Amino acid sequence: MNKPAVGIFGLTGCAGDQLAILNCEDRLLDIVALVDVRDFLMASSANDAACPLDIALVEGAVVSQRDAERLRKIRARATTLVALGTCAVWGGVAAMDRGADRRKLLEEVYGETGLNYDSAPAQALHEVVKVDLNITGCPIEKEHFLSAIGNLLNGDAPLYPEYPVCTECRMLENNCLLIERGELCCGPITAAGCKARCPDLRVPCVGCRGPVGDANRSSLLAMLEEKGLDRERMAARLRTFAPEGVAQ
Amino acid sequence: MSRIVIEHLARVEGHGGITVEMEGDKVGSVRFDVFEGARLLEPLVRGKSYQEVAPILSRICAICSVAHSLTSLKATENAFQVRISPQTELLRELLYLGESIESHALHLFLLAIPDYLNYPSAIALAADNPGAVTLGLGLKKLGNLIQETIGGRAIHPVNAVPGGFGKAPTLDQLIELRSAATQGMADLEAVIDIMASLPEAEFCHSDTIYAALRSPGLDSYYAGDEVMVASNGDRTMVRAADYRTLTNEVAVQHSTAKHSSFRGKPFMVGSLARLTVNPQRLTGRPAEAMKRLKLQLPADNPMDNNKAQALELIGDVERALAIIEELLQTGVKDERPVEIHPRAGTGTAITEAPRGLLIHSYTYDADGRITAADVITPTALNAASMETHFRRAVEQCTDRDEAVMGRRLQMIARAYDPCISCSVHLVRRR
Repeated sequence: MNKPAVGIFGLTGCAGDQLAILNCEDRLLDIVALVDVRDFLMASSANDAACPLDIALVEGAVVSQRDAERLRKIRARATTLVALGTCAVWGGVAAMDRGADRRKLLEEVYGETGLNYDSAPAQALHEVVKVDLNITGCPIEKEHFLSAIGNLLNGDAPLYPEYPVCTECRMLENNCLLIERGELCCGPITAAGCKARCPDLRVPCVGCRGPVGDANRSSLLAMLEEKGLDRERMAARLRTFAPEGVAQ
Repeated sequence: MSRIVIEHLARVEGHGGITVEMEGDKVGSVRFDVFEGARLLEPLVRGKSYQEVAPILSRICAICSVAHSLTSLKATENAFQVRISPQTELLRELLYLGESIESHALHLFLLAIPDYLNYPSAIALAADNPGAVTLGLGLKKLGNLIQETIGGRAIHPVNAVPGGFGKAPTLDQLIELRSAATQGMADLEAVIDIMASLPEAEFCHSDTIYAALRSPGLDSYYAGDEVMVASNGDRTMVRAADYRTLTNEVAVQHSTAKHSSFRGKPFMVGSLARLTVNPQRLTGRPAEAMKRLKLQLPADNPMDNNKAQALELIGDVERALAIIEELLQTGVKDERPVEIHPRAGTGTAITEAPRGLLIHSYTYDADGRITAADVITPTALNAASMETHFRRAVEQCTDRDEAVMGRRLQMIARAYDPCISCSVHLVRRR
């Protein structure tokens, strides 16, 4: 049997999801033995930039025409396209304020030259092309990547938690930062899968994995308001990693 | 040959390229191009509360996410005049070392060494020499274990917060770290063996100005707030609050780009600069390794940055083990972060990210909301120096073969260990 051809790509982001792949230190050489990595610019200088791919793993958000063109080309080459990480799945931090006047921001950071840059409000991959599988997380949990590779090689679709961070946090028997300490914790509306990393360390969840499917945002906001927290600022915080209107 | 173009730099973090225009036999313009999209995080973070700043700005870059987080916290704490506990200081040092170990091991073994041995990737290298790649991955894993244990996650740490840490590591965790670091110590000799066996890369010689955080008496990436600029025996100190002297942007003729320079000249930051500015680090094992690798300081060859990273890797593992032992001996208290009282003001922090000087400078209002953020990254600081070294390499290449020159240019770029996601904050984009 031919090994499946795999490509690993980064659009605009921090490269954290590709790094999470490289962080599978003990398993990296095993994975490489199971698949044929044909295009992985971050790790190799011998890439086939045109071959058809069985699996394309793409991280980062689309923030320019160049990103969008690259993504369309990758889509055309790939049988299965996987969005890797919060930026690819939800838009991520660069999308936190998509309504802002982009020209003004560009000019502020780069001066007049900035106005000529190829730049657009950040988009998740699915807003530009069809995505076959989402693996969220900022960055992705490497176990989720490993299980995705295992599943895809077997022709299965991997399953990820469809419940909020609170569920995992409660199972760890943590005191609730939100109810007991009145801290702005995004656990109730954020997708689990991180084993409640932050609240388990007494640090409020910032929502970096993006919203959970059946999140009750308005009930959370009402509860926080009752605790005296400012509604506008809370709403902005809940949008830090996933802007409104991106849900698939 | 009218131009040399490296369309996509491979085996670096982010998206960039190199263009060298030739004018006959002379080198015309030289460009380090950056294709990374603008994420505009500095203006986007404006208005956010101080607790939100580090988690957002760490997302500038994954490989340097500890550096960005901790530099961010240091800037915020400076603005609010917060004093952190000695335990927090020690844990932050350790966390920073974890990132440096991970980053150097990744860069040397997965990105740089394949060049010297004529392999396109570590994957290809592993087919013939699995030992070298496994060695690198083992040290990388040690760095990640430190980051996971102290920072709560290997990429984008979650445990470091304004004023301290969410939770301190447990005794069991520290014992596990000690055994991993002890194994790391045992692996270091093999690292030097491999580095010493590589062919010399002698194709770019140039007088170079170096800039690094000065940490007298301390082996630190995190403490200190004075930068030393070293140039041919001339040494100048720059305080954190005056960081704009270093990032003094000058327009260069071949484009509208602005580059960092010190008194009109480009400078290099990173491992080689740190060792040049802080030679007190080079005692014991790193000093012996320096002899074996035939490294002389100040160096006139940017490729020596790879050797400097190897020496730092040794020093980092030694220092990490020493901190772990100290924590085990004194015991770790379950302390809460220092209470923060926001106040209006500005705070600037300079630290040494794996790739060199990193600066975060913030202004806050009285409610603790950020009103301005300025982030200067090592790759942005290095951009002008990289271009100078690209130019020297082409000038000094007697073989006018595009493939030979292209390969040399890429090796120089990789020796700088550029982090292009980071660099977007200052260098020009195409």
